Amino acid sequence: MNNIGIAGRLLRVNLSKKTFITEELPLEMFIEYIGGRGLSAYYLNKEVSPFCDPLGEENKLIFFNGPFAGTLVPGNNKINVAFKSPISNTYSYSLAGGHFGPELRYAGYDGIIIEGKSEEPVYLWIDDEKIEIRSAANVWGKDIKATDDLIRQELGADHNIHVACIGPAGENLVKYACITADVYREFGRGGCGTVMGSKGLKAIAVRGSKDVAVADPKGLMELTERAYAAAAQNAKAKIRRLHGTNELVEHINNAGFLATNNFSEGYAEASKIFEGASFRDSVVYTDAACFACPIACSKNCKTESDRFGNVQLEGPEFETLALLGTNCGLTNWEDVLKVSEVCDALGMDSMSAGGCIGLAMECFEKGILTVQDTDGLELNFGNGAAEAKLLEMIAYRQGIGAILAEGPVYAAEKWGVPDLAIHSKGMAFAAYDPRGAKGMALTYATSPKGAHHMVAPVFGGEMGAGTRFEEAGKENMVRGTQLNFAAVDSFGICATCQNGLPRPDQLAAFKLVTGYELTEAKMLFNAERIFNMERMFNVKNGFSRKEDTLPKRFTQETMSSGESKGQKVDLEPMLDAYYAVMGWDNNGIPTLETLAKLGLDK
Amino acid sequence: MKVLSAEPKKCTGCKICEQWCTISHYNVMNPKKSRISVTRSHDDLMNYPVACHQCVDAPCIAACPTKISALSRDENTGAIIVDENKCILCKACIRACPYDAMKAFPAAKHVFTCDLCGGDPQCVQHCPQGVLSYEEIAKEVI
Repeated sequence: MNNIGIAGRLLRVNLSKKTFITEELPLEMFIEYIGGRGLSAYYLNKEVSPFCDPLGEENKLIFFNGPFAGTLVPGNNKINVAFKSPISNTYSYSLAGGHFGPELRYAGYDGIIIEGKSEEPVYLWIDDEKIEIRSAANVWGKDIKATDDLIRQELGADHNIHVACIGPAGENLVKYACITADVYREFGRGGCGTVMGSKGLKAIAVRGSKDVAVADPKGLMELTERAYAAAAQNAKAKIRRLHGTNELVEHINNAGFLATNNFSEGYAEASKIFEGASFRDSVVYTDAACFACPIACSKNCKTESDRFGNVQLEGPEFETLALLGTNCGLTNWEDVLKVSEVCDALGMDSMSAGGCIGLAMECFEKGILTVQDTDGLELNFGNGAAEAKLLEMIAYRQGIGAILAEGPVYAAEKWGVPDLAIHSKGMAFAAYDPRGAKGMALTYATSPKGAHHMVAPVFGGEMGAGTRFEEAGKENMVRGTQLNFAAVDSFGICATCQNGLPRPDQLAAFKLVTGYELTEAKMLFNAERIFNMERMFNVKNGFSRKEDTLPKRFTQETMSSGESKGQKVDLEPMLDAYYAVMGWDNNGIPTLETLAKLGLDK
Repeated sequence: MKVLSAEPKKCTGCKICEQWCTISHYNVMNPKKSRISVTRSHDDLMNYPVACHQCVDAPCIAACPTKISALSRDENTGAIIVDENKCILCKACIRACPYDAMKAFPAAKHVFTCDLCGGDPQCVQHCPQGVLSYEEIAKEVI
C-alpha cells in the first residue's frame, strides 16, 4: 500500500468460518465519512440488520480509526467501535484512547470488522501481515490485567504489543461489559464487551511496524508544534493536566447537578473531598497520556488502607468517580479507588455499573430490598466494601448480581420500581443530572445509544452562558455539539485535545495528512449524515419519539437541595424544537426531505 | 560533553518523543524506527523512556567484531554512530547493551541507535512534559 495518511484497507475477520480478508478502503470513504465513528456507521448500517439479536451471530464489531491515527496530530488516539447494543437494543458506538488504535494503523489497517461467532474461546493476533485466530483457552476466565499480561507473554513479551480484551463480565454476558485496551482504556459504554463475549472472542492483540507517511510532513510538523504551544496555554488543558477530568467535580457539585445517591440529590458536602486539588494531593502518583497527547489528563493513583491494603490503578476519571462513587454515596478515596479497581479488572462499564448499584442501594434504603435479597450485603449508600463485593457478584452473575447484570431497567422492573431506574433507552446515565443543565436533557433523550453525555456535552456551554436552567433555545446548542462530536469522534481525536486543536486546525490537519482539502461545510454535512444514519438504524427498528425519554425523577421530581434546587425538566417542548431544527418530523423521524438532502433516501 | 537524560517519574508515555525521532530522521512516523523508546509499566504505574546512554567505555563498540567495526563515536557529540553499510546485524552490540538502547532496524540488515540528531535532539525539543534534557555534565561525573 502506498497511501498517504490512511492505510487504505480494512481487515475483515469471520469467527464462524475462521477466515480473514483485507479489503480496500479508498480515501473517498474518509472524505465522505471522515473516519472512525462515520466509517463505523457506514458499515454497521450496510451490514447489520437493525432487527438482529445483539448477542447473535449476525451482530458485528466494527472498529475504525480516524484519518490521523499514528501521525503527529495531537490526540489522534481514539478508535471507535460500532455494534448493536445488548443493553439498549439500539445502534451503539464507543471510543477508546490509549495506544491500541495507533498500533493498528502501524500494522497497516484503518479498521477491523469482526463477524460471526467462535464455538470455542479465541483471540485475534494481528502482526502486520500475519493474522492468526488463536486459542484463548489459557486466558478465558482471567481478569483484564492478567489477560493483557498473559497474551503479551505468549506472543513474545514485547511492549509494542497492544491488547484489547474482555474480562469475566464480558465472558458472562453482563449486559454492560466493556472492551479494555492497554489495561485501562475502555471502549466503555453500550455493552461492546458483551457482544465480544458472545462471539467467543477474548482479545485482539496487535503490533505493527509500518511507516505512516503524510502528504505534507513539514506542514504537519509546524501545525503540531503550534498545537502543543496552544495546549500549554489553554486554561482547560492546563487544569486537565493537573487534576484530570476530576477538575469537573468542583463545578458540577457546587452547581448542584452531580449524580448523588442514585440521582436523588445533586450536591453533597462530602463530595468536596473529590475535588481536583484534593484528588491530586491525596491519591495521584503519576500522570499518564494516551498516544500523541501533550496534555496527559489521565492520572495513576494509589491508596493504602487497612480495609483494602494497597490499591492502584490508572484512574478513576470523573465519570467513574461520579457513578461508582458519589452516585453510590461514597465519601472517601479508599472506597472509590477500590471499587474502580474491581470494576476495571472485571471489565465492566463503570458508569452503568454505578447506575445499577445506585439503584440497588436506593431500593435497599427504602426497604424494597432487604439482606434476604442481597445475600447478606448491607447495601446502604456509602458502603464501599459492599459495593466492591456486589461488582464481583454482577460480573459472575451470583445472587442479586445476576439481576443487576441485566441492566437497570430489568432490575427495577423485577423489584416493582421501574421509575427508580435512571436510564434512557436502557442505558444508565452519566454524571450530569439534567435538572441542573437542561440542554443535557435533550442530549440524553435523543442520543442514539441511550443516556450518554459525550454525544453532546453541552453543560459547559450552558454554564458559561448562564442559561443552564432554561429549556428554550437549547435545540441549536445540542444540534451543534452533536455535529461537532460526530466529526471529532470520526477524526479520531480526543475531546480534551480539542483544547489546543480547534476545528480549523482539525481541517488543516486533514489536508496535511491526506492531501485532500475538507471544507468545514463538507465536514458538517458529513457529521449530519453520520448522526442521521445512527438515528435511522434505530428508526428502522421502531424507535421514535416515544423512546426519546427521561426518567420521571428528572421530569416530575424537583431537585431537593443545592444550587439546582427546585428544578425539573420540561422535555416535550424541547423535543418539538429540536426535531424541527434537525429536520425530523414531530415523531422524531428524519423527513424524506432531510434524508434526500443527506443522500440517505436510497 | 552534553548528554541526553530523562526523569521517568515525569514521563506520561505519550510517545511524542518517538514520533519526532522518526519524522525527523525518515520523514514518516513509525515507533519501531524510533531511537528512543518509551515502555509503560502497569505494575509500578511508570513510563520509562530509554535511549543510548553514550557510555564512556561503550560495550556496544567493544562487542562489535573487529573485522566489521561498524560502530564508532561521533567526536563532536559523543553519540554512537552506526555505519549501516558495514553492519551485518550479528546483534553482538544488542546483546552487549545494558539498556536495550541498541536495536535492529525493521526489515533491514543493520542496527540503529540514538545519534543525538547531530547535537539537537528532536525528542528533547518536543517533549511536552520536560522529561528529557540534553545538557552539559561535568567531566568528573562522566
